[in-house]
Amino acid sequence: MSRLNTNIIIAGVGGQGVVTAGTIISDAASNAGLKVVMSEIHGLAQRGGSVTVDVRIGNVESPMVPKGEADLILGFEEIETVRSLERGNRDTFVIMNLERLPPVSLGIRRREYPDEQEMERKTAGIANVHRIDANRIGREAGNSKASGTAIIGAALSLGRLPFALSDVETALRNQFSGKVLEVNLLALSKGFESIPGKEPTPANR
Amino acid sequence: MNRMDRILNGLPGDVMFLLGNEAIARGAIEAGVGFATTYPGTPSSEVGDTLSKVARKGGFYFEFSVNEKVATEMAYAAAISGVRSFVFMKHVGMNVAADAIMSMSYAGVRGGMVIMTADDPSMFSSQNEQDNRHYAELAHLPMLEPSNPQEAKDFVIRAFEISEKFRMPVILRTTTRVSHQRTQVKLGSRSVRVVDAKFDPAKGDFVTLPSSSMGFKSELIEKMELARQYCEKTDLNRTETHGSGKYGFITSGEAYNCLTDAIRKHSIDASVYKIGMTSPLPEEEIASFLSLHESVFVVEELDPYLESGVRRIAQMHSSTARIYGKIDGIFPASFEYSPEVVASSLSGIINIEVGNESPPVSVADLPKRPPVLCPGCPHRATYYAVRRAARMSGLSDVIYSSDIGCYSLGTYEPFEMADVLLEMGSSIGVGSGLSKVTGRHVIAFIGDSTFYHAGIPPLINAVRNGSRMTVVIMDNDITAMTGQQTNPGVPYDGMGQPVKPVSMEAIVRAVGIDNVVVADPYDLKSFLPTVMKALKSEGVSVVIARRECAILRDREMQRKGERVVYAVDSGKCGLCMNCVENFSCPAISIQEGKIAISPDLCDGCGVCAEPIVCPFRAIAAGE
Ligand code: SF4
Ligand code: SF4
Repeated sequence: MSRLNTNIIIAGVGGQGVVTAGTIISDAASNAGLKVVMSEIHGLAQRGGSVTVDVRIGNVESPMVPKGEADLILGFEEIETVRSLERGNRDTFVIMNLERLPPVSLGIRRREYPDEQEMERKTAGIANVHRIDANRIGREAGNSKASGTAIIGAALSLGRLPFALSDVETALRNQFSGKVLEVNLLALSKGFESIPGKEPTPANR
Repeated sequence: MNRMDRILNGLPGDVMFLLGNEAIARGAIEAGVGFATTYPGTPSSEVGDTLSKVARKGGFYFEFSVNEKVATEMAYAAAISGVRSFVFMKHVGMNVAADAIMSMSYAGVRGGMVIMTADDPSMFSSQNEQDNRHYAELAHLPMLEPSNPQEAKDFVIRAFEISEKFRMPVILRTTTRVSHQRTQVKLGSRSVRVVDAKFDPAKGDFVTLPSSSMGFKSELIEKMELARQYCEKTDLNRTETHGSGKYGFITSGEAYNCLTDAIRKHSIDASVYKIGMTSPLPEEEIASFLSLHESVFVVEELDPYLESGVRRIAQMHSSTARIYGKIDGIFPASFEYSPEVVASSLSGIINIEVGNESPPVSVADLPKRPPVLCPGCPHRATYYAVRRAARMSGLSDVIYSSDIGCYSLGTYEPFEMADVLLEMGSSIGVGSGLSKVTGRHVIAFIGDSTFYHAGIPPLINAVRNGSRMTVVIMDNDITAMTGQQTNPGVPYDGMGQPVKPVSMEAIVRAVGIDNVVVADPYDLKSFLPTVMKALKSEGVSVVIARRECAILRDREMQRKGERVVYAVDSGKCGLCMNCVENFSCPAISIQEGKIAISPDLCDGCGVCAEPIVCPFRAIAAGE
């Protein structure tokens, strides 16, 4: 698709706030006056299953990111991040939250979560993988549940989202209030500063 | 204004970022709906979740009905009393409602009636991907198919107008990618309709006996002919041109989105006839579209519904256009489409380049994450106990018959306790048949909502005809899988008002079953012997496994500010692995050779601490 469009995949596990993150990104894009379509698939489980949300910004109709065309992948959990890389390409920007939620399929086989080296090997085919500890950032901001907002902040600092920090702040204000809002605003700015060498530029600040 | 208030009271021209199903709810509100009913089912559930929250403030009636058939009958009653009514369901729910729909199309309506079906191509959360557009043809009813949330909202209003114009129910058909798509939606104005229900039929108006139905049938055919004439001119259908417009395309619904993206990406010279009203088909318009193109592609998901119509019309009009679709094998006959699927199907005929790059990483050896029951889910305890009870009772050839709900996940490892699972209520119907035909002991699993929905007639049948089976009703006090909706066993109704719950045990006893017990699966040590006792019974026995859904319990605990988390004492743990291998709560895993419980995930149910799960008594409530 043309460069004017942005294709984002958000992947994680049910209960991690993947859909909420999708709506915040979409709302931010709306605030910037862009057209957005978002699609969510939950599967059968209320919690604990794989969840992916596709967000497409630009002149598009179908809500699903075409195979190989993801510009940005926001992974909330390591295995789920890698699983969604299949829909990216070598140039896809990836933010991978260092959260490891072992699927029960492992324990049933008396196995453990793949170790760090193995996970790194799996992402070797992609140049721009940024690993961040979003849960810690969230905790520092006041609540580990704000990890999703921290991930959005990090994505913004990479210059891969076609809207400004202030658009996300407006989206957060639309979504939350009171203490939760404060925590999320803080998580956003901490996330924004979390990737080394990615200092906020005036353009996206 | 919070989100729900905005959906109810948002001003015309306001732009909201809405889920397709929320947009549909808003459409019903704008149309001045007076009466709305449903049985929850993905991907339609959020329509009901939205309407249930705003109904009282909005001044209309809403209910979660016991099943789709009754929901449709309730809505019909409103429509024949002049009140605009809206009933919505998932695609397979329409099978349950079909008996009612087939007759109400004959008798027709007074006030507008819209029947929404949400189809599920690729079966993300369903047992099949049936194409419900066939129901429009079968019942002789008009049908609208929106492609996105904006159209979904607007089409609801149009559907009401068409319904009142022709005095017949109108079907609104969505699919998962329309119902579960979010995008900006511009709100319209709310029509103020103050309609007092008035039921005053002339003799026989709503009686479908042969004497009157013969007249109804001829009228129905006439109405559909008038609807076709309307469809020829309606702006619900439109043509869009890309480039020279050389290739013709006929499409509808989500397939339109995929096609449009493919056309833009590959710069295809296309003329696209997008049909928004897909029953009855605009025959003359289609014939003239065919006459303008040498090649016409029919692009639609699931069955060749449009394509069959287009080929019929081509034949009748002696069209020479070459038609491509699924019947000739150009497009796939199953599963949802994507822009890539459309482009690669076209690439055999139109000269376009479709990339075939292999993915940058291989995910084949990645651990799978099949859907699981929540941490603390009472169904996990029930399955664990029933499996042990069957083994301890020496029932080696027991048949497990399961049903539709969260507990369907018992199909997967570690329990694998579903030998047969078809549709709502089938656990008891098919289960009792299996007990008759094989003589083996059958254990049927059915949830509370599913029991009320379709479990009672087969239970009567099982008792009446002497099956030998144990029915485990997994009563978690809510319709959980679709997002915690109320059902007849819950002490509040669809508008949040207190109401007397229907007693499941009274129904079971009234059917003639004496062997019925209520037990708490969290209390494994007494639950297990209870199940064993039930398994001894000669006829039909019923165990009501009663414990609220963990999500409800969480909400309640949060409200009270309570929180309990369990932890493993690795000094005591014997590393038998039973908890991860056979009980498999998602909060428990092996970390660096030890068993660990994630405090973030643990729900504090305490079931894993029972010696039947942890024989070393290594698990206890932590600080
Ligand atoms: S939603 Fe309730 S019933 Fe469904 S898996 Fe979770 S705890 Fe169990
Ligand atoms: S107490 Fe045990 S079984 Fe219950 S949620 Fe926690 S870890 Fe899972």
